[in-house]
Amino acid sequence: MNRRGFLKLAATGAVGASIVELESCKSPQGNAAGKNAAPDRVEIASTCDMCLNKCSLIAVVEKGVVKKLNPNPLNPKSRGMLCARGNAGIQQLHDPARIKRPMIRTGERGEGRWKSVSWDEALDYTAQKLAAVKDKYGPEGTLWSSSEGFQEEFFRNLSQAFGSPNTVRHPTLCLASVNLAYSLTYGTVPGFDVQNARYIIMSGANRLESFITPDTMALVDATTARKAKLVYLDPRFTKTASKADEWFPIRPGTDAAFILAMLNVIISENRYNKDFVSTYCYGFEQLAEHVKQYSPDWAAEETQIPAKDIQHIAREFADAAPRAIYYAGRRSSWSTDDFAMRRAQAILNAIVGSWDRLGGMVPAAKIELGELLYLPWDDPKASRVDELDKNFPLAAKNDGVYLKLRENVLAGKPYPIKAWMVYKQDPVNGIPEQEKTLQMLRQMDFVAVIDVQMSDTAWYADVILPESTYLERLDPIEMQAGIRPVVLLRQPVVKPLHDTKPCLEIVQGLAKRLGLSDYFDYTMEKWVAEQAKTLPMELPLEYLKKHGVYSPPEFPKYGMTLTHDHRFITKSGKIDLYSERLKDAGYDPLPVYHAPSKIPDGQFRVVLGRHAFYTHANNTNYPWLNSFSPENTLWLHPKPAHTLGISSGDTVEVASSVGVIKLKATVTPKIRPDCVFLQHGFGKRSSWQRLATSGGSDAEILETAWDKVSGGAAMHETMVKVRRV
Amino acid sequence: MVRKTFHKLRELLPAALLVLIASFLLIPLAARSAGQKGNEAKGKFYFKQTCKPCHVKGEKGGEVTPLVKTQAQWESYFAKGKHMKGTEPLTKYMTPEQLTDALTFLYNHAVDSPQPETCGK
Repeated sequence: MNRRGFLKLAATGAVGASIVELESCKSPQGNAAGKNAAPDRVEIASTCDMCLNKCSLIAVVEKGVVKKLNPNPLNPKSRGMLCARGNAGIQQLHDPARIKRPMIRTGERGEGRWKSVSWDEALDYTAQKLAAVKDKYGPEGTLWSSSEGFQEEFFRNLSQAFGSPNTVRHPTLCLASVNLAYSLTYGTVPGFDVQNARYIIMSGANRLESFITPDTMALVDATTARKAKLVYLDPRFTKTASKADEWFPIRPGTDAAFILAMLNVIISENRYNKDFVSTYCYGFEQLAEHVKQYSPDWAAEETQIPAKDIQHIAREFADAAPRAIYYAGRRSSWSTDDFAMRRAQAILNAIVGSWDRLGGMVPAAKIELGELLYLPWDDPKASRVDELDKNFPLAAKNDGVYLKLRENVLAGKPYPIKAWMVYKQDPVNGIPEQEKTLQMLRQMDFVAVIDVQMSDTAWYADVILPESTYLERLDPIEMQAGIRPVVLLRQPVVKPLHDTKPCLEIVQGLAKRLGLSDYFDYTMEKWVAEQAKTLPMELPLEYLKKHGVYSPPEFPKYGMTLTHDHRFITKSGKIDLYSERLKDAGYDPLPVYHAPSKIPDGQFRVVLGRHAFYTHANNTNYPWLNSFSPENTLWLHPKPAHTLGISSGDTVEVASSVGVIKLKATVTPKIRPDCVFLQHGFGKRSSWQRLATSGGSDAEILETAWDKVSGGAAMHETMVKVRRV
Repeated sequence: MVRKTFHKLRELLPAALLVLIASFLLIPLAARSAGQKGNEAKGKFYFKQTCKPCHVKGEKGGEVTPLVKTQAQWESYFAKGKHMKGTEPLTKYMTPEQLTDALTFLYNHAVDSPQPETCGK
């Protein structure tokens, strides 16, 4: 369906007519389309929210209706691009299955029966339920989970002002192991100057297929126009593999062995950057001794990558430095030793001197924003339910560790959790072992979800508080640190089409009813005005409203930390190859290799992936995007497929120790014979996500496992049996 | 209610200070507060409200952020409790309780503190 057709159908209400309780598109202000004084055509600069990348956009609005979302060329990060998802933002706005007004559940949880209520009724109900749990179990009896977003801070502040220590964010389903490993090594998580690198190694970061960001475009430039070398390790032959100079279908979970052997070669052959190491690094002697055990021959056995290839890659990498990077990429933890692999990457990049140099890793530059000071609250009295201090002492405190938290909540230890507030997150479809998440939902006295769409988690909620979409609201100004830092404004391009509110107003509505108004005594306009004050221009807010983005011209800058008196934000003050902080916390101070568990006979290791059409479990219900990939399938190599009598298109049953799903098979040589693959984001339970109910949900079969140091969910530790049905 | 209490506390500050300064002089802050046992969020608020007006680039105090000292240096600074090159007590600007909170914020974000970064904010 094309854009014109969709808008026409949406206007007539024909789209999604079969969806449960499809409601009209009238807004509380009157007609959705702004029929009266709306100008014929305006172009409004704003910021996308279809994924975390936050590209700049220009909305073309005619008579109050968004006709088109165009890229904003002023943002050097989005580089004049708005991807397929960004274009489909218009479908989020006009989604017939949007949550259009507050709703309270009338049937059983997951039955899909609701009644529409006023905001007062929904907020009163939510506040009463929260107060009841607080009375009985204390404020710590409430759990508040959320994902990144410009208004997430308000939701988290409400949880803290309410007195709960139990905030849990998405990083342990995302980049927790990367962030922790680089933070402990460099004191920061750097950017990777893909645009200028000459040699790039990627471990499963399927950058050309899974996620379109500036790094994706830079990689295209680097590997085509500049002929930078790309070495790619992945058990699948992805689109990134197809563009790589060398692809190795590595045995899953052994990437650390590959990197440690590279370290072995580079150090034993004196190919490391001696000046850089002696000036800026701490613990090289211990590292050199440590990696003697990790020879290329040993690594070849582990990884199934020939020793001669490990050697030549190590040599080429060192020769290309400092314009050589082992790219961290955007992906979650895959093994229970993911942190060690990330540490090995960070250390490898350091010893060849690829730090703060053109084509290497570059510390993220920042632009100072003003800040509205608001009344602070008392600290929660209880400790966290996931016992972070005891189990993951180095992890980011406010992020929590999702799977460990779920284990403790299910066990009721160290204390019961009976209410769950969810903002902009779908734990039912998004995290492993769905049955446990459903159990957790069942044992709650109360569940509320703030979202723009009926996610699988919303489907099981007691009350749904609909948020206005990113095209309908003013958000806090966002500074994105990076090689080229930018300041972004998201402003409404149309009035809310339905009876929805921005997160801040929902938070303020609840705060008022909970006696916490004093902590939220400001407006979004005041918040934004304070933020803009420090920008180096006259009338900064007007500038941002006009352009949507501010990007200082002096970036990128290289070498700012390469001074003899620079102190890294680490324990030693240098780049911590050997980490005293890890040692103090009881962990290995240097990355130690642990072999992955063996795959039992007749079983397969599940490997996962994302596609750039979708954002995790999001967006699969928007027709423009869904048409690219209407359902997920199970990739299976021809050899085992032949043994099992499975052909492409057959329906197969995939069974792990925790769940069973059915989906169609794709028999392809583009995967190792001992692995199967399926795409994330399908097999949904919510009937309002009707286009995404097809296929199978990886959340149903993935087992609970986490990285030992960061607590990140280990997504590649599940073995399954497959049979044709 | 919370706001009223907050403002009342600020109004009463000068009177309370006389008593609190005396106790402060007798017992070093670090020993009393066990270093980082204050409220970090409040500490950030007091630091930004009280210190930042003078301690930014271009102002008379010069830029001060948590990153300008190590944790040990912040503890030492607050234990001495002196401001303006030792010419006036820190308690001229904050109560001991507020100073404990400010120390907690500065200590937790000092240049050698563990600061794992996150996704988004």
